[in-house]
Amino acid sequence: MTEGAATAPPPTARRVRTTGGIGDRALWLFIGKRFGHTVLVLFLVATVSFLLVRLSGDPVRQMLPPDATLEQENALRATLGLDRSLLDQYVSYMTGLVRFDLGQSLFYHRPALDVILERLPATLQLSVGAFVFALVLAIPAGIVSALRRGTSTDTSVMAAVLVGQSTPAFWVGILLILVFAVNLRWFPASGMGGFANLVLPSITLGLYSSAIIARLLRSSLIEVLGEDYIRTARAKGLATWKVVASHGLRNASLPVVTVIGLEVGSLLGGAILTEQVFSWPGVGRLTIEAITYRDYPLMQATILFLAAVFVLVNLLVDLSYAFLDPRVRLT
Amino acid sequence: MTDHPTLARRDLLKIGGVTAFGVSMPGVLTACAGDANPASEAGNELRVSQAVDATTLDPHKHGDLPSMHVLINIFDTLTVRDTNDKLVGGLATSWKPIGDKAWRFTLRKGVTFHNGEPFDAEAVKFSIERLVDPKTQSPIVELRYVTHVKVVDEYTADLVTSEPDPILPQKVSLFGGVIIPPKYVKEKGDAAFAEKPVGTGPFVFERWKRDSEVSMKANAKYWKGKPAVDRLVIKIMPDPSSSLAALQSGQLDMVSGLTPDAADQLGDAPDLKIVTSPGIRTFFVSLDTLSGGPLAKKEVRQALNHALDVPTLIKSVLNGAAQRTPTLIPRQAFGFDPAIEAFTHDLAKAKSLLTQAGYPNGFSTKLSASSLDKDIAQAISGQLEKAGVKAEVSLLDAATFKSRLVSENKAALGPMYFSGNTGWTMDAESNLQSFIRHDRRQSRWDDKEADRLVDVEEQTIDSGDRKVAFRKLQELMKDEAPFLYLWQTSNVYARNNRLQWKMNANGTLAFADAKLGKA
Repeated sequence: MTEGAATAPPPTARRVRTTGGIGDRALWLFIGKRFGHTVLVLFLVATVSFLLVRLSGDPVRQMLPPDATLEQENALRATLGLDRSLLDQYVSYMTGLVRFDLGQSLFYHRPALDVILERLPATLQLSVGAFVFALVLAIPAGIVSALRRGTSTDTSVMAAVLVGQSTPAFWVGILLILVFAVNLRWFPASGMGGFANLVLPSITLGLYSSAIIARLLRSSLIEVLGEDYIRTARAKGLATWKVVASHGLRNASLPVVTVIGLEVGSLLGGAILTEQVFSWPGVGRLTIEAITYRDYPLMQATILFLAAVFVLVNLLVDLSYAFLDPRVRLT
Repeated sequence: MTDHPTLARRDLLKIGGVTAFGVSMPGVLTACAGDANPASEAGNELRVSQAVDATTLDPHKHGDLPSMHVLINIFDTLTVRDTNDKLVGGLATSWKPIGDKAWRFTLRKGVTFHNGEPFDAEAVKFSIERLVDPKTQSPIVELRYVTHVKVVDEYTADLVTSEPDPILPQKVSLFGGVIIPPKYVKEKGDAAFAEKPVGTGPFVFERWKRDSEVSMKANAKYWKGKPAVDRLVIKIMPDPSSSLAALQSGQLDMVSGLTPDAADQLGDAPDLKIVTSPGIRTFFVSLDTLSGGPLAKKEVRQALNHALDVPTLIKSVLNGAAQRTPTLIPRQAFGFDPAIEAFTHDLAKAKSLLTQAGYPNGFSTKLSASSLDKDIAQAISGQLEKAGVKAEVSLLDAATFKSRLVSENKAALGPMYFSGNTGWTMDAESNLQSFIRHDRRQSRWDDKEADRLVDVEEQTIDSGDRKVAFRKLQELMKDEAPFLYLWQTSNVYARNNRLQWKMNANGTLAFADAKLGKA
């Protein structure tokens, strides 16, 4: 990274080339820098979670029943490596990380990463479902209320969005279960399985993101639609939907992409309540479990894993931003 | 800015169409994972929910009930508690002591494991010795006195102990007595065994989707006869309101492990029933008699017991789902003496005892509890205050509470703490072992006579002598009152009218005898 910085052309030279594309040196420098940040952040998360987790109490005492003998306790502590010095444990943890070895889960007697990867498809399925639901609801809502700004349509769409944004997920979940599972029996109340199982939890999880995206899309679109080039396009006699689709939406998408990216991150990490309410066997529930059982390696692994997802999504958002608008790289 | 762009409905639909591609995506994604909707095909499949998943399916590497609920359907134990809580034969047909330090078990003939491997004395030797081997790191401590197993002949095995163990037959009725197939485990290894457990039990393991469900199918060759239900599915549902909703929507036949207030949410559904079944988990408040202060005085401890109105606590905080216990021993356990009566609720007596002890105006103290027991701790504190004792409630998260409970520092939880204990062997020894003898981990009482009586009940094989020791111990425990004696809780579950099944007092979800009627 430092090498790249040293050989980089002076800023004035960079400012000339703002075209983007694969051969763009400034773009690669930007990517390298962002990637370096990502590694640094993950290193810090790993270190802090290692220390925090060790402040939270003794796992050996959680694992053995209250009438276990002291000898049993010490033997278990030794086999788990918890009798070694903190530095010793830290070094072996960090060297393991380099090899993608996140340690052995104390309760599952298996590699922590395996335990997480086993739960990941469930969380991914739920996140994708929620994300799709959010977009399907948010994009038309944002467009309609932007185009009909100030009308009663706009007011009522935005009122609905506000309700969606301020209702807690667990409550929405329980309400949906009562109406659509218990009373109407259209969908199963909980658990994982076919498509029908995915509907209610996706709505529950996606509602909040959908509200945020709709609001942002509306204000961003309103701003863009006031620009001169829109007026020009309309003056050329283009159909309204064509103006909105090819000029309006494209230019309004920048801030929206950022938020969508962040929302994907929080969908992946923040599904804990929804997973709990719908008995969804995902990573969110695993995190809670690891904390309850004081499963050190698994706690560290889930924290690091969720942090990595969040940071990587952020990285992707930054990069796509840079591709969409080359000016961003220079700031 | 005054010219709003206007948009025809047709145009809107076109823009909307761009986003519509997304609708088909979840279908593609779930197509591989998708089974038929479970709600639509109930059939002769029994579907039960519990809040927490099994930690492992290796029966020797866990000591928790959620794992046991699953495993008790796949494995058999040497002895069994029947639905009347009597100890009867399982894989052993009879047992007797051989001298002071061994028990001889006669084994059932003609039993095979799910993989066809025969069950015999070698399997018992392998299983028990694996369990007590320190390398196994089993959290099951009950068999700690067992040194080895002697194979007498193909269907006779002696469990040899280092010290007399009068209740060894009780200890092999659940956690301690699970028998596993030696050849299978040796060939496949521990990890593969935990992935695909093989037992002799009523159900054959099918698959485990972690945090989601464990499914098993009926064992057609079960030695007691094929179970009446074809398939058993234990679903993991952490949230009581959603599991009750699943019961109401026909997705489940039973919701286990409910708290009384969660059960209340069900309301009056005509085809569903809340069942309150007697349980053995006992609850108490431990008093620190060792660190000086008011609690070092017997009169104060008795006064606190008189200050409590236990029946009202049971009614108001537990919705009646509990039974009072005179000391720490539940009614079903061997050694429980019905002649010993619980403390009466008597505020005047409590106050006069406090005056007698030199605390006419009461005193201030602290009551610790796990945050899960917040309501109970606050109710107890409220009742003590009426006798002039101000017990400030201090709540800790469950994990912290437990690690302080077993800490070397016996005062780690302060002068008073609320706690529970399950003696699944259903012998009073299990209820008392950690709490009474002065050298045990959770004992905060030092009494020579109590120590002597514990030694008698723990080391005498003769059940008559043990009974006498337990009676004297309970009398002493009541008089010296090193605890506030509370209750034994009931097991609460909800089921539909299709399910015919009875839970025994140890509360395990053993479904060998369950039947499903017409909905």
